Amino acid sequence: MSSSTTERTHPVLFTTQTTSQLPSSKFMIPVSWKRYQLSQLINKALGLGGEVGAGYVPFDFLIRGEILRSGVSLDEWCKEKAVPEEETLEIEYFESVMPPQKMSSLPHEDWVSDVECQLPGYFLTSSYDGRIRLFNYSQNLLHTIHSHEAPATCLTLIPSTTSTSTSHIIASGSLDSSTRITKISKGEEENWNTEHLASLPLHTAPISSISSNPTGTLLLTSSWDGLVGVWDTKIPSSDEVPATSVTEGRKKRRRVQEDGEEGSGEGKRKAPVNVLKSHQGRVSKAIFASGEGEGRRAYSVGFDSSIRVWDVEIGVCVDTITASNKPFLSLSQQSSSTILASSTDRTVSLYDIRLSSSSSSLSNSPIQTFLHPNTPSCITTPSTSSNQFISGSYDGIVRLWDLRSQKSALTSFKAWSGGEGSQGAATSVPKKVLSVDWNNGEGLVGIGGEGGFEVWKVSSSTNPGSK
Amino acid sequence: MAKDSTKKDTKKRKARTEEEEVVEDAREDTNFPHDVGLELHSEDEGAEADEDSEGEVDEFPEIDTRSDSEDDEDEDYEGSEENDEDEEDSEEDDDEFHIFPKAKTIISDITGQPKKVYPDIEPDYDSDSSTEDVQNRVGNVPMHWYDDLPHVGYDINGKKVLRPARGDELDKFLETVDDPSAWTSAFDKTMQSDKPLTAEELDLIRRLQQHENPDSAYDPYEPTIEWFTSKGKEEVMPLSAAAEPKRRWVPSKWEKQKVMKIVRAIRQGRIVPNKPKTSSDKPTFYAIWNEEPSTHPAPLPAPKPRLPTNAESYNPPEEYLPTEEERKKWEETEKEDRERDFLPQKYSALRLVPAYDQFIQQRFQRQLDLYLAPRIQRAKLQIDPNSLIPKLPSPNSLKPFPIYKSLSITHEKGRVRSLSVSSDGAWAVSGDESGVVSLWEVIVGKEVKRWKFEGKIGSIEWCPRTDVSFFVVGIEEKLHFLIPPYTPPTVLNATLTLLAPATLPPAPANPSPVKWNSPAASSFAVEKPILTVTLPSTSGLPKQISWHRRGDYLATVSSGEGQGGVWIHQISRRHSQAPFKKIKGSVQLVLFHPSKPNFFVATQRYVRVYNLAEQKLLKTLQPGIKWISSMDVHPLGDHLIVGGYDRKLCWFDLELSDKPYKILRYHSRAIRSVHFHPTYPLFASSSDDGSIQIFHARVYNDLMTDPLIVPLKILRGHQVKEGLGVLQIKWVPRQPWLASAGADGKVGVWCS
Repeated sequence: MSSSTTERTHPVLFTTQTTSQLPSSKFMIPVSWKRYQLSQLINKALGLGGEVGAGYVPFDFLIRGEILRSGVSLDEWCKEKAVPEEETLEIEYFESVMPPQKMSSLPHEDWVSDVECQLPGYFLTSSYDGRIRLFNYSQNLLHTIHSHEAPATCLTLIPSTTSTSTSHIIASGSLDSSTRITKISKGEEENWNTEHLASLPLHTAPISSISSNPTGTLLLTSSWDGLVGVWDTKIPSSDEVPATSVTEGRKKRRRVQEDGEEGSGEGKRKAPVNVLKSHQGRVSKAIFASGEGEGRRAYSVGFDSSIRVWDVEIGVCVDTITASNKPFLSLSQQSSSTILASSTDRTVSLYDIRLSSSSSSLSNSPIQTFLHPNTPSCITTPSTSSNQFISGSYDGIVRLWDLRSQKSALTSFKAWSGGEGSQGAATSVPKKVLSVDWNNGEGLVGIGGEGGFEVWKVSSSTNPGSK
Repeated sequence: MAKDSTKKDTKKRKARTEEEEVVEDAREDTNFPHDVGLELHSEDEGAEADEDSEGEVDEFPEIDTRSDSEDDEDEDYEGSEENDEDEEDSEEDDDEFHIFPKAKTIISDITGQPKKVYPDIEPDYDSDSSTEDVQNRVGNVPMHWYDDLPHVGYDINGKKVLRPARGDELDKFLETVDDPSAWTSAFDKTMQSDKPLTAEELDLIRRLQQHENPDSAYDPYEPTIEWFTSKGKEEVMPLSAAAEPKRRWVPSKWEKQKVMKIVRAIRQGRIVPNKPKTSSDKPTFYAIWNEEPSTHPAPLPAPKPRLPTNAESYNPPEEYLPTEEERKKWEETEKEDRERDFLPQKYSALRLVPAYDQFIQQRFQRQLDLYLAPRIQRAKLQIDPNSLIPKLPSPNSLKPFPIYKSLSITHEKGRVRSLSVSSDGAWAVSGDESGVVSLWEVIVGKEVKRWKFEGKIGSIEWCPRTDVSFFVVGIEEKLHFLIPPYTPPTVLNATLTLLAPATLPPAPANPSPVKWNSPAASSFAVEKPILTVTLPSTSGLPKQISWHRRGDYLATVSSGEGQGGVWIHQISRRHSQAPFKKIKGSVQLVLFHPSKPNFFVATQRYVRVYNLAEQKLLKTLQPGIKWISSMDVHPLGDHLIVGGYDRKLCWFDLELSDKPYKILRYHSRAIRSVHFHPTYPLFASSSDDGSIQIFHARVYNDLMTDPLIVPLKILRGHQVKEGLGVLQIKWVPRQPWLASAGADGKVGVWCS
């Protein structure tokens, strides 16, 4: 901290959304100060401890929707943005995100298409070799489920009140348009048993996503054929759908696939509760709404550049957001009123899904747009409401964003870089990230993609005080 | 004696010349010539002249008397000077009323000679008649304007000049009685009063009344001066004593000859004294106004020179002065190209302006103008070069089109020569030269299936039908029909029944050399081709497979020499036929028209359009390309693009002409592949320079509107390997995405 009296100062007003508020008075901050000094000031003012050490909480600073990068002084920032000296800057401070740390790397034989981290103590991955793998936190492969003959593209954990810590129900979809509900249960001595409970025959094209509602009573499947299937998770005692001509094809398929997998039974053939038909092209992702309208509403995105809001019970499309030329790849609900959708035009867009008072339809233009250098294939939001989300991209970089910082990500890290990823670096072709999942409670982010599966520790953004 | 007298005369005259100046005014004959120059007689002639002049002198005795008296007067002139002076004085008194100032003759103090001195002119108002003391200053206005006023005008100070009191007629009469000089006064109009006339004026009046010369100085009785005969002024004429020549009195013989010649001519009638009057001699009159006005264009008026503007001024305003760049630009441009032939320059004063160096040149040009001299003038193009660039819409308004490389997959071995995207846009297959065929997801880029064949993969093409799903791989002399995995059962069934039907269609009447083999549908496996078509041997690698839009026919072009290059295969009948018995040139490419039964065949240089139904040649397109490399037809079928190894890309409007509508030369190396997007108004071309160029190509249904071609984007990302760049490009149906296969073994997907 320079104490020279000739140092120019800049009027600054500190705001925050955390509980640790500063008195709202104007501070005259020396212009040469950088993030570190500002962070020290906040710490001192809050009485958290001045020096780096116990109790010290690093802060990040958001000026006009942009993160103050470390190493950039206030003066440089003002010059860059052409802000006059006299103007009062409103700086929002929040606890900075610590640099993510790689916890473990679990290589797969094939690409990992989807990961599931919501099961405490375990990770679930679906891979292009058609298998679903169960790992525990100590990086041990506990179980492999031969779920599909074709590459598995998606999986989800169906939370169930009946499921105990030893048995879980998993739903997965595949490229061969088959969808399955599988129950795994822990037997003695780490032996896991697989039971195929049901198959969901509806789609005629590869399954793109599968998801369940928070209570685990309903399932949504989306497929390349433009359909979204709504299913309940009750396992029927007998086939609800007769094996008609489809079965014939299936038989042939069986012949094609020859002996192959251990026949664990097809499970019961379930009939869909509803089929949501409205998309003009491939549906990339369908999720249930959380928060308001929970259990009834669902959202889906597709290659027809539309985001559709569904009423699941009656099976109609309630609302549509039609973007222009944005084939959507992924979808995530940010809050009860906003959803994030990533598209192939390298953007992640934040859309308002509340009906505006003036018009009866949803606004087609996004609230905010987050630009990526390459296709953002997947996005995930923490289960608790927060301003942050994580996006994975085809350039192998996972980015942590703050909604307020539109221009640059808070932090980013490259999956499958160091260590054994060195041979990946040699090829210089970035390995695509296909799936990310964020277990907010544990602060873990699972990344699945071309290089396998990786777990990174991302410090929670929420203030300890706000918990 | 005469000689002596003459000498004496001249001598005297010399002496007198000075004296005469002195007495000039005093004497009546003041204008006597000062110098007559007669003393220039030559002395020898003088002797001769004496004899002649004696008689003449006698003839004019009277004149001598005056001369003599003059002589006398001259002789005692010195003494009588005083008298002269007196005379002068008296004369001055007499001529009191002279208008002009009188000159006085005094003896100069310096030279001692008499000289005339005129009285000084006093420079006051009196010195000039025009500035006489006129009290009334109203000027030349009618004085009756002042009749009713007490004054008659204003003096120089603006004060009123009061009307002088004027008596009536009785007063006037009394005045004439009282004042004897009253009758000599005249009415002054300006002063409205009588004014006595001066003596001079009275004298002038008297002279005019007596019809005398009004000039009082005029003397009508001046003595005559015998200019040439008086004493001392005689003309002495020299006369020759020579005998008169004979010709003076003998008539001229030569003249007589001439006269006789004319006389003879007259006698013979050769010279007619008066021309006989004929009718033609009558004057003829022309009604010049009756003629029709001329239809010729009026002669060109001489062009007017341009008027000078501010810039031509020697001291123009600052804004007219050229800046440094303008000056430099002006100096750099050619003389003919300059807008102005000068540069404005500023001089503070006109006297500082140097000579105008362009003057002669400009006058010359002006003369040429007036002469209407034809000169070669270079037509100046006053066109902004930017305005010649066609107004194209901004690429941003023509979105979507591919702008970035979303993903790429790698073939480890060999160049990827062939690539195809399924009709639903979800899957792509690529084949390389090592015989590997990869099936991969377009959006994820995950290779899900790989086939290995012997030999190079020449071409790959998906069947455009949507109810079946298979693609054709062309390798050496064989076409393999493959079904991708993960097809839905219904589609799989339809495909199987199409390609490996349980009951084969009846064999055609004339067996073709092409063999169709398919294993039984029951033994179908994804790894094996469901159907194999064996082309005749020596046909070589099928380098192109082209499907008909309906998906029943496909045409193949093999690289082998000979006529066996082109085959059209019909899937439903499992039959192949060669459409051409003989074809000129080696066929490069073939294409089916999307809607009509037309067939495009590209040879090395020409594109021929055949009607397959009528089996005739419709037209031959001449792209002007030395070697055609690629060709594609617009989905509507009216437009064709042809790419060549000589870097040209030709756009044909098939309705328009056999010549290209547009030739695009944007690639720096050979064009390898061109492709129209099936639904979006886009096409792309790829080249050996490693770049892919995306064009917007909007085709209008209105035949009158030309297609709009806008270059949108150059995609770079493929490496040039061994001189080969991007070998094949294919659009992804339903999405504005492009898949490209390069010689570097990479297959990329470019997303919008």
